[in-house]
Amino acid sequence: MIIRGVFSMSIINRLKSLFKGDNEEIDINADVSNTSDDVQVTSSKTESETVVTEAEPVVEAEEATVEESEDSVEDLASEDIKPEEEKVETIKEEIHEKVEAKKEEIHEKVETVKEEIHEKVEAKKDAKEADEDSNNNDKERDKMTLLTDKELLTDANRDPDFTAEFIDSGIETVKHCFQCGTCSGSCPSGRRTPYKVRQIVRKCLLGLKEEVITDDALWMCTTCYTCQERCLRSVKIVEIIKKARNIAAHAGYMAKPHKMTGVFVMNTGHGVPINDATKALRAKIGLPEIPPTTHAFPEALEEVQKICKITGFDELIGYDEATGGLKE
Amino acid sequence: MEIAYFLGCIMNNRYPGVEKATRKLFEALDIKLIDMEGASCCPAPGVFGSFDEETWATIAARNLTLAEDIGADIMTECNGCFGSLFECNHMLKESEEKKAEINANLAEIGREYKGTIDVKHFAQILRDDVGFEKLASLIEKPLDLNVAVHYGCHFLKPTKTIGIEENAENPSILDDLVEITGAKSVDYKDKMMCCGAGGGLRSRDLDVTTSFTKEKLDHMTEAGVDAIVNVCPFCHLQFDQGQIEVNERYGTDFALPVFHLAQLYGLAMGLSAEELTFDAQRIDATPAIKKALGE
Repeated sequence: MIIRGVFSMSIINRLKSLFKGDNEEIDINADVSNTSDDVQVTSSKTESETVVTEAEPVVEAEEATVEESEDSVEDLASEDIKPEEEKVETIKEEIHEKVEAKKEEIHEKVETVKEEIHEKVEAKKDAKEADEDSNNNDKERDKMTLLTDKELLTDANRDPDFTAEFIDSGIETVKHCFQCGTCSGSCPSGRRTPYKVRQIVRKCLLGLKEEVITDDALWMCTTCYTCQERCLRSVKIVEIIKKARNIAAHAGYMAKPHKMTGVFVMNTGHGVPINDATKALRAKIGLPEIPPTTHAFPEALEEVQKICKITGFDELIGYDEATGGLKE
Repeated sequence: MEIAYFLGCIMNNRYPGVEKATRKLFEALDIKLIDMEGASCCPAPGVFGSFDEETWATIAARNLTLAEDIGADIMTECNGCFGSLFECNHMLKESEEKKAEINANLAEIGREYKGTIDVKHFAQILRDDVGFEKLASLIEKPLDLNVAVHYGCHFLKPTKTIGIEENAENPSILDDLVEITGAKSVDYKDKMMCCGAGGGLRSRDLDVTTSFTKEKLDHMTEAGVDAIVNVCPFCHLQFDQGQIEVNERYGTDFALPVFHLAQLYGLAMGLSAEELTFDAQRIDATPAIKKALGE
């Protein structure tokens, strides 16, 4: 058994060098390795090897016969027996023919396998391209979903600290949203502006800080609470929006008219301060000309101003104490 | 009964007729309104609440301490003030952590929030503390007027924290209070929709705000009403001043006069249009008042 095995191996080697089948096998492998980055292509490489190896045992058997015959031919020739020589010649020819036929057969098989592999590789390539095409389609369809941008979002786009700010401030319900869209469907602002409340809630949960705080649409909510009232998951949606606005404001995204309302409160204690027309109107109907608010009590106004300094609100809106307006 | 009367900004600084009517009404109801001397802006939930929660809560808590000093619950006639003061009071009563944080700020101005009072809305007090019967007894001559009731947003919502017994999607509290005066509340499409002014939108983007208001005015007009009734001076301003802005932007000719519920009661109790400062409003209320009084 062992002897036969060694014998067979030498035959294989000789056979291989004889009709270059091995070269072609290498070529096949080279072809395959060109596209070997794909796992599925690699599996077809394995397949092709299997096919080639299956062909070899057949060759082995035939080759064994050839070797044995050649040995006996040499023996017979040395004894110089003519008819036997002729016989041997015939056998030799037969063997040669058989070997040639086998060679042809193997060559064909190898060609077939090569073609098969080539077809498979091409099919894989096509499939891969088709996949890429469908990805492109998906990207276009994403205009209807959260991912409006051209590139895919990865963990690098996420800021977990942003999400944590909502949870730490008591809005754990941001995690409860299952994106049903009842909020957007109920939103009077969403009917007329690019404000998409469902998307904003999702982005807050994902930690897409920059997308949320730089978007002007964040300020299109009137805080009417319709979304929050109808939310199936009791998500505190308006709280989420207000928190996101707080973060945006602290990052410098603040409209000038909003800062001005802050300026009015710092200067008078009121977002809508009194004016001369209303003073006259009040006097006319028998009310005190100046209402009993911070307008009438300067020390009360000082308290409000002090609060704005303690909390840093003056800095936040860029309040200029010297002019009583905004800096810059 | 005593109530700490929170004025806010827009009512007393723009529509003083609302304040006048309220003082008259509560005098007639024998409920003492105590001025919260030195009160400030609530502050506006849309601006302060959207910018910096800590500043918003500290200024609101300061206002709450004024009522705590008086020892009476707060009444406000503005949904925005109600939203800010109620929400802050609720938050500080619920969270010791927030209370400590805000009290640290208040200590710097020599004040302390204790959590001893409640915040109530004008309409809530009329229904739940005064009652319909007593109110009806004040009406001298029932008003002949078809009105579109506008609830506004920060009156009943968020219902999970605001304790007013109502269905926020289909409430009746304001319609009931309106009909005691003899006026008829007419249903209209998207009645519960926002006026568009809140959340800092009016100051930031008047085009968007007026598009809300136009939609409401379209639906109110389709219902054939004589006037709008609200319980929030900011909504009031948006329907009054904002109606002019809608007409300018859309080339429309809306002319629906705007009544705060207190003004409607003032009219039914015999106060004049001047006392109710209708003459200072942008939309002429004269035809509606004449109709209401049968003149």
